[in-house]
Amino acid sequence: MKLKELIDKFELKALTNIEDTHIKGVYLSDMLSDVMSRAESGSLWMTIQTHKNIVSVANLIDLSAIIITNGKNVPDGTIELANRFYVNILSSPLPTYELAIKLVEAGVK
Amino acid sequence: MQDESCKHLWKITNIKPCFIINEFCYKCKKNTTYFSLEERPPIERYQEGEHFWNTLGYDQSIRFDLQCKKCGKLVKMEELAGLMMCTGCEDNCKVYSLMKELEKERTWVYVAFGFLPFDETKQLDKEQISVLEDYFNQRRKSSTSKIKIVSGDLIENFSLCYGNIIKDVDMLSSKPPEN
Ligand SMILES: [Zn+2]
Ligand SMILES: [Zn+2]
Repeated sequence: MKLKELIDKFELKALTNIEDTHIKGVYLSDMLSDVMSRAESGSLWMTIQTHKNIVSVANLIDLSAIIITNGKNVPDGTIELANRFYVNILSSPLPTYELAIKLVEAGVK
Repeated sequence: MQDESCKHLWKITNIKPCFIINEFCYKCKKNTTYFSLEERPPIERYQEGEHFWNTLGYDQSIRFDLQCKKCGKLVKMEELAGLMMCTGCEDNCKVYSLMKELEKERTWVYVAFGFLPFDETKQLDKEQISVLEDYFNQRRKSSTSKIKIVSGDLIENFSLCYGNIIKDVDMLSSKPPEN
């Protein structure tokens, strides 16, 4: 699935400028070191972390997007940095688990 | 079997969660960092020769090595304390100049730095830096952008550097992250 399609389908809110790309899997983790060592390039990353550091990790391994779950507020500094490095950040009011189930049901794995 | 002609294809191995501990000696003002593989971060004041060490802080991180999937060559990353994405700082910083240059072609600069104090600990050598760079670029091979990894030696004044160091901040707090 393409990222823009996913945004429409799951009513995700784009917090940054969006560069459309193919989604190649999903990774759930709130630990940056875990994502850095294990997530696959092109994955969607779901997390409740909103610190600027998430941009460094997503950019390093070229994730397709970060989805901030639970409707958490993302600091302006994180959004600005993400825009500068072309990192896509989306937001969902759903908890990580609920959104993950919806994605699986829609065939995004 | 290690093959000199092998076009290495790196994978991450020996991943170990750890704490990165930052200590400060009030007597000589020396700042040190080191990894601890203990279950809890060792926070204590202790004397070591002339030094009186106090913990300034700690974060969770990982240690790892890289190994070639084809020939088995293992490159240890023991000297790697962390990776930092350069986001720009002083105009005369060598890393920032490189970043400005490479940014046009979407090549992002990360600094691989060793442990503090930089002038006393062994930093990553050229081979380690280049293997680390190959590893991340191979992992993101389908991508339209690239990663350039440079040594922490290029940074003259670390205190002026406001890049983002990849580590897990506040993971041991009783509250979930703010906002
Ligand atoms: Zn090899
Ligand atoms: Zn001392």
